[in-house]
Amino acid sequence: MIKKKTTGKIDRKLARWGILFVAPAIAFFSVFSFYPIWMAFYTSLFKKNLLSLKKPDFVGFKNYIYLFGSTDFWNSVEATFVFALGTFLPLLIISLMLAAFIMNISKARRFFQMAYYTPAVISSVVSAAIWLLIFDPRGLGNQWVNAIMNTPGIDHRWLANSITVRISTMVVYFWKYIGYFVIIFISGLANIPRSMYEAAEIDGASGWKVFWKITFPLLRPTVVLVSIMSMLQCLKTFSTQYLFTQSGAPQAPINVITLNIYNTGIRDFRIGRASAMSIILFSIMLFFTWLQFKTSRSDDVNY
Amino acid sequence: MNFNTTYREKSVKLLIYAILTVFVIFTVAPLVFMITASFMPSKEIVKMPYRWIPSTLHWPNFFKAIAGNDMRYMFPRNILNSLIVSGAVTVTTVIMACMTGYGLAKFKFRGRTVIFLMIMATMMIPFEAIMIPLYLVTTKIGLQNSYGGLIIPFMVNAFGVFMMRQYLITFPDEFIEAARIDGMGEMRIFWSIIFPNSVPTIATLSILAFRAQWDNLLWPLLVVQSEKMKTIPLYIVKFTAEKHSDEGAMMAVALLASIPMFILFFALSEYFIGGSAVFSSRKG
Repeated sequence: MIKKKTTGKIDRKLARWGILFVAPAIAFFSVFSFYPIWMAFYTSLFKKNLLSLKKPDFVGFKNYIYLFGSTDFWNSVEATFVFALGTFLPLLIISLMLAAFIMNISKARRFFQMAYYTPAVISSVVSAAIWLLIFDPRGLGNQWVNAIMNTPGIDHRWLANSITVRISTMVVYFWKYIGYFVIIFISGLANIPRSMYEAAEIDGASGWKVFWKITFPLLRPTVVLVSIMSMLQCLKTFSTQYLFTQSGAPQAPINVITLNIYNTGIRDFRIGRASAMSIILFSIMLFFTWLQFKTSRSDDVNY
Repeated sequence: MNFNTTYREKSVKLLIYAILTVFVIFTVAPLVFMITASFMPSKEIVKMPYRWIPSTLHWPNFFKAIAGNDMRYMFPRNILNSLIVSGAVTVTTVIMACMTGYGLAKFKFRGRTVIFLMIMATMMIPFEAIMIPLYLVTTKIGLQNSYGGLIIPFMVNAFGVFMMRQYLITFPDEFIEAARIDGMGEMRIFWSIIFPNSVPTIATLSILAFRAQWDNLLWPLLVVQSEKMKTIPLYIVKFTAEKHSDEGAMMAVALLASIPMFILFFALSEYFIGGSAVFSSRKG
C-alpha cells in the first residue's frame, strides 16, 4: 500500500518535470507557428494596407476571388509548378542514377559523394551569384553549351527570354541540391540487404534486371519520400529568383508564388492579398504533405 | 568467365566512371570558377574561352568586396551579424530541441502524444506562409532591425525536436534511474547525463540550424532596414545588384562569404552528410 502511494507521488513529480521540459517549446510554437498561421488566414479576409492607419475593411473571401481571377496570380502558380516539376524530375532521375552508379563501383566512392555534395555547402545567394556570371553572354554557360552542341559563337541568352530564364533557375537549383539527393539515395540503397542481390546473382539475373526487379521496388518508399520532399522544397523557392530579378532578369517567367507574396505584401503593402496568397501556398503544401503521409504509410518497406 | 564478359564488364565500369566524372565536373567547375575568378580583373573573366588559371593575383577584388561600393566597410560587420545570428540560433535550437525531445521521450504525462503531434504539425507550415504576420508582430513589439528580431522566430524548430526525441527514445532508462537513486536533481540529470550523451545528434542538428540561418535571405529582407544590421545574404544581394558589371569583386564577395561554411564542411563533413537526408523545416 505505502509503496504504491510513493510511486504514485514520484510519477506525478516526474510528470511535472516532463511538462516543464516541454513547456518552453509549446510556448514558442504557439507564438511563432500557430498564431501567425491563424493571423495569416484572418488577415486574408481583410483589405489591409501596411502603411495606412485606417482600420482594415472586412471583405470576406474577396481577396481569394480576386486572386483566382487575376492573370498575375495564375502566372505565379504556373511559374511555381513549372519550376518545381522541371527541377525535381531531373533531380530525382539523375540523383538515383548517380547513387546506383556509386554503389556499383569500388573505388573513390567517398570522393564522388563529397564532390556532388560541395555545392550544397554554399548559400543559395552565393550559388545564384555564381550562376549569374556563368549565364553572362560571354560566360561559361554559352562556352560549355556551344562546345557540347558544336554551335560556336551562339549566345543562348540565358537570362533574357522567358524559357531560358526558367531553365537557368532550374539549373541553379539542380546544381545545388543534386548532392543531397545522391546521398539520400545512397543511404536508401545501402539499406537493401545484400542477400537479395546474392539470390538474384545465383538466378543469373542481369544488371538491368536486378535494378528494375529488385532495387527499384525496394527503393520505392525512398523515391516517394524524396519526390514529395523535393517538390515541397521547390514550391518554396525564393533566393535564386529574387537575386536574378534584382540583377535585371525578366520577372514574369520566374515570378514564383513566394516572390509574388513578398512583392505584394512588402513592396506594394497589400497585406490582405499577400496573406490570401500565403494561405493558398500553405494549402498546396498541406496537400502534398498529406499525399506523403498517405503514400509512405501504405507501403512500408518489408524485405 | 570468358574473355567477352570480362571485357564487357570492364567497359561498363569505365562508362560508369566516365559518367560520374562528367557530373563531378558539372558540380565542381562553378566552384572553381568562383575561386579563380575572384583573383581576376573583370576583363580577364569575360575573355572567351575562360582561362582557369589567373595570370596574376588581382587583390583589388577583395578590397572592393570588403569596402563595398559606398566605401563604408559594411562587409565585416555583416559577416559578424550572420555569425551572431546563426550562432545564437544554433545554441537555442540545440538546447530547446534537446530539452523538449527529452521531455517527450522519457517522461509520461497527460497530453504527451497530442503535444508531440502538434509540434510535428508545425513542420507543415511553410515559413513563407507566415512571414507577413510574423513581420507585423515583430514590428509591433519593436524588434525590427535588431538581433532579437532576427533570432527569436527561429529559436527552435519542429524538426530538431523530432530528431532529439527519436534519438533519446533509445537512450537507456537505467542510466537515468541510477542517477535519480543517487539523488541527482532532474536538471542536473539533463545537463550532465542527457546533454553530453547526445553529442553526435546535437552536432548534426547544429549544422542544420547554422546553415539554415547562414543561408536565410527572406526573413532578414523583411526585418532589417539599416546597412549595419544586414546579414551576409543581404550584403551579397545588394552588392550583386549594384556591381553587376564588376565580376571579379562579385566572386570575391561570394568566396569570402563561403569560407566559414567550407571550413565547417571540411572539418565536420560526416555531420553535414548525416543531416542531408532531411530538410530543415524553416529555410528562407
